[in-house]
Amino acid sequence: MRVKVKRWHGVAVWRWDVPNEEVCGICRVPFDGCCPTCKTPGDDCSLIWGECTHVFHMHCLLRWLQTEGSRGQCPMDRRTWGINFTKLFFLL
Amino acid sequence: MSALFTKRLSKELVDLKINPPVGIEVTEADTFKSWKLTLDGVDGTLYAGERFTLEFRFSPNYPMESPEVVFTGNIPIHPHIYSNGHICLNVLYNQWSPVLSVRSVCLSIQSMLSSCTCKEPPPDNNHYVKTAKASPKQTQWSFHDDSV
Repeated sequence: MRVKVKRWHGVAVWRWDVPNEEVCGICRVPFDGCCPTCKTPGDDCSLIWGECTHVFHMHCLLRWLQTEGSRGQCPMDRRTWGINFTKLFFLL
Repeated sequence: MSALFTKRLSKELVDLKINPPVGIEVTEADTFKSWKLTLDGVDGTLYAGERFTLEFRFSPNYPMESPEVVFTGNIPIHPHIYSNGHICLNVLYNQWSPVLSVRSVCLSIQSMLSSCTCKEPPPDNNHYVKTAKASPKQTQWSFHDDSV
């Protein structure tokens, strides 16, 4: 029997490249959801990875880095925060 | 109030009620302005059998800013705890990070009490208590003793 495909619908799901059920250490919301100030997860509420490999919602991390108390440090290990560009370009 | 502030504190409260750390209990959390928790001295330590009350006051910038944390009522006698309830602990001031929480602060304080080997007040207690502002966050702390 030969089957000729005439039409098909592609369906895909996406998720961030982080372990299942992991939460953002700053807001405690799962990475699969968005930060508390956003309404829908996705490109508008991206994650950000540090050179130190720690990951946060970008909005949460930027809010922290804007505070004087942060001294530009990663909230997890207090090393100077640097963006992991490999992860970032992978997203673009 | 920001969504981050209210959501984070709601989550922390639920977590502390459902899964409380040993010897730590939330006794008052009617608002997001201030909470009270009891802290029991751990068995086998100098504070065994004693119960203390911690008060947390949150600014609208929590968790980007540290909470104000003091002992009220029965103040533990400890080299890093002043008799007005102020606590000399770096994570409450310049070493705060938004990944810390009410739970982690309570555990740090519990561990600070547990490792104490001599119940005595801070050497500068009298002077400090006379001159300190109401909020311990206005004190210029110096942290030089990691042993207790």
